[in-house]
Amino acid sequence: MAAAAPEPQGKYDLGFARQVYGNIDGGDKLAMCMQCGVCSGSCPIGETMDYGPRKLFMMVRAGMKEAVLKSNTIWNCVSCYNCVVRCPRQVPVTYILHDLAAMAVREGYVEARKSDNARFAKAFWWSTRKYGRSDERLITAKYYFSGGLIDGTRKGMANMKIAMAMIKAKRMHLGAPHKIKKRGELKEILAKAKEIQERQPATPEDVK
Amino acid sequence: MASENKIGVYLCKGCGIGEAIDVDNLQTIASDELKASLTKQHDHLCGTDGVKTITEDVKSGDVTQAVIAACSQRVMTDRFHFNGAQVIRANLREQVIWCHPPGDEDTQMLADDQVRMAITQATKTSPPEADSDGEFSETVMVVGGGYAGLNAAREASRTGYPVVLVERSEQLGGWTRKWPKVMPHRSPYRNPQDNPIEELISKVEADDRIRVMTNTVVGKTSGQPGRFSVDLSQNGTTATATIGAIVVATGWRPYDAGKLRHLGYGASPDIVTNVEMEELLGSGPVKRKSDGKAPKTVAFVLCAGSRDPEHLPYCSSVCCGVSIKQALQLTQADSEVMVYIIFDELRTPGTAEEFYRAAQDAGVIFMKGKVKSVGADLTVTVDDALLGEEVPLQGLDMVVLATGMVPNSTNVDQPSPELDEEQTVLLKNDINPLSPFPVAGYAGDAPDPKEAADPPPPEGASILNLQYRQGPHIPILADGFADSHYICFPYETRRTGIYTCGPVRRPMDLSETGDDAAGAVLKAIQAIQGVAAGRALHPRVGDLSFPKIGLDPCTKCRRCTVECPFGAIDETEDDFPIVNTGRCRRCGTCMGACPVRTISFDNYSVEMLTSMAKAIEIPDEFDEKPRVLILACENDAYPALDMAGINRHQYSAFVRIIPVRCLGSVSLVCASDALSAGYDGIILMGCKSGDDYQCHFIKGSAIAKERISKIEETLQSMMLEAERVTTMEVSIADSGRIGGMIDDYLATIDEIGLNPFKGM
Repeated sequence: MAAAAPEPQGKYDLGFARQVYGNIDGGDKLAMCMQCGVCSGSCPIGETMDYGPRKLFMMVRAGMKEAVLKSNTIWNCVSCYNCVVRCPRQVPVTYILHDLAAMAVREGYVEARKSDNARFAKAFWWSTRKYGRSDERLITAKYYFSGGLIDGTRKGMANMKIAMAMIKAKRMHLGAPHKIKKRGELKEILAKAKEIQERQPATPEDVK
Repeated sequence: MASENKIGVYLCKGCGIGEAIDVDNLQTIASDELKASLTKQHDHLCGTDGVKTITEDVKSGDVTQAVIAACSQRVMTDRFHFNGAQVIRANLREQVIWCHPPGDEDTQMLADDQVRMAITQATKTSPPEADSDGEFSETVMVVGGGYAGLNAAREASRTGYPVVLVERSEQLGGWTRKWPKVMPHRSPYRNPQDNPIEELISKVEADDRIRVMTNTVVGKTSGQPGRFSVDLSQNGTTATATIGAIVVATGWRPYDAGKLRHLGYGASPDIVTNVEMEELLGSGPVKRKSDGKAPKTVAFVLCAGSRDPEHLPYCSSVCCGVSIKQALQLTQADSEVMVYIIFDELRTPGTAEEFYRAAQDAGVIFMKGKVKSVGADLTVTVDDALLGEEVPLQGLDMVVLATGMVPNSTNVDQPSPELDEEQTVLLKNDINPLSPFPVAGYAGDAPDPKEAADPPPPEGASILNLQYRQGPHIPILADGFADSHYICFPYETRRTGIYTCGPVRRPMDLSETGDDAAGAVLKAIQAIQGVAAGRALHPRVGDLSFPKIGLDPCTKCRRCTVECPFGAIDETEDDFPIVNTGRCRRCGTCMGACPVRTISFDNYSVEMLTSMAKAIEIPDEFDEKPRVLILACENDAYPALDMAGINRHQYSAFVRIIPVRCLGSVSLVCASDALSAGYDGIILMGCKSGDDYQCHFIKGSAIAKERISKIEETLQSMMLEAERVTTMEVSIADSGRIGGMIDDYLATIDEIGLNPFKGM
């Protein structure tokens, strides 16, 4: 909530809405947003966001590019899909937020390494790509220590009690990480996905 | 006349009447006290046998007036309808047994009085004779050759009526001809549609029954429905036509954008109105006026000068849809074009919602907020309601101001007619029912005018230039639109036989206008058929009676000519009133206005009302049974009282209810006579007055209030309290509280005590 309001004047880019409509995953559907606010009302972590999705989408239309791409909204989304399920205009809010985050990184509005969310996402991605599964211990450890050895140790110690309780309750196992079979095929799938993604940026014609 | 009347009284015992009251007693009153020539009781009069009994009595000539003491006059009218006899109803069901305790002494007294009043009414009326002599024209004149007028002409012709279509310009089609595309009115409602106007024009021009007159204006209109005499001047030559009914379809004009300097109009050639945008769209690919370049970023400012007390206070209802249409036309011509529509509230009712979605789908950006300013550099500053901050839209190529519609209630191309002082006063009356009008006062002078802002007289010449006592214009209620209660009485104007349709009536789009034209034409045809048979039009449809003025006692006070809500009464050269029956709606406001009571209908008169009021038995003051007279408007108050009975709401049985055509028809004589006869209080119960009036006769209840305000002096001279006469405004929806209102008034009477005139 603490983020400063976007600076007025000079920060408005009338082409931004068109850029989002044409290049963001689900952006064409954003045109149908009627500003009812069901998304913001449904968001379980809306309180932690600089702006709810409703307001963020209006900012896209008003051309407030920098404010949108620097907001924490696009990073804080936990992909619960409440908003997507409830949207009366079938706007895929979650996809749009995630792709806006990717755009923010791509265009240099955020340094991924410095963002908590990005570091967690990276750790998650590392585990998923490596084992085909998310190993909570390793993801947590990787995330904690991505901020440096001292920060990682402090965070780890602070959560030690919870970790011990989870082991005791057999909610966290201590052996080797679980892996999927045929990890080679997963690699192929991911490579293909990357190739598709790199065909971007799409033009409005592609979207149609 | 009354001596020839043979009154038959039929007492119904059905629906519980027989159990709740002593019907034998009613029969005794009818036969012995009021000397009815025939009295009968029946178990259920509305049944086949009951109706047969009455029919036979009528056929044999034993009965010329059937007094039916059963249910309300509002029900069973099809059963109790006999050729050759007048029917008078005494309401024993809804207003006696259903709202008062059965077997009670007061209930019985009320029933007795209902019968007394009904028989008295029968002695004071005669069957109305219609005024239907002379020739009547069936021609419908349509004024205005735009989309509304063309549709009206076509609909009238297809119904079989000859039409004169009058258009002031040199070609038909009006504004619609200038538009390349129109809003969709067919499924799937997502794309601008082709303009239907050319096809419509050719159909009208090919129609044998339609006489098209372009370059023509109406010089003047006199007469009445069925025989209007209309001077039509075409290219300077004038010819007179006889017309049956008139449909005014003069349409609209755009609001003067020159008054919208705050939205930048005039500061740049690229700030245009929506009408100018239509012209740009019509002349090929849109190019900027300044440099001829195709605009890439366009903003539409909605509500430009609309819903704004400084400009047009109302919503023109079409600008949202038109802007969406223009935005779609722009994006469909060039997908690179970015369009912003800045709205305060977007109004896309019904299928227009689909149209709005289509525009969203096409990438048109809708921003909610108020436009603070539009600069000469085309920067539009929006106070964005959804972001809560001011957003400057910079780098726009064009700004379109969506201006509203102004009704062509007058012809602004021609100078306003000169009105003398009296006509100016009358014109103002007609424009604003709240503004002061001279009202018949029986005691003292008229009160000072109320402090109401007088709207300015309309600019420009009258469309029809009516040669009426009340001036040349069609009366206007608000914002320049003709006064036609557009929910209850659409198309009506306050000039009978003259109907409005299309945007001159209220702002509307093309498809609504087409339907509207058909509606107005049907009204016009009803008028043509009705007046030829001497029948009244809405709301007293089919009534044959009309006001008759006895000129001997007439003092030429002109109250009837001034107060008539419909301008039906003119003055002869020697200042006597003359009724134009075709224009009359039979409300009786003239009857209530006349200080010498010389205006009456065959079946409705001041004498009838006062006799009915005095027919009841007034208990003396030691009985402590007050009597309150309710003069109830038959359009709203009487149905509400019936409805209270239907819902079995109980209220005081001390009231005596007489239905009146309109509160405007109540002469103050009725009130003073009733008070001298011993009534303890009088309620004038009618419809809501004011600018959102519900009065079927526009200002009847307002006039009644005005008159009541003057009765105070009369009461003072009689040493009576002002509370003894009051007005109540009710609608049918008030049936639940109407009993409470009556009981409260009875409590007031209880406080001030009984009428000292009782028994004198």
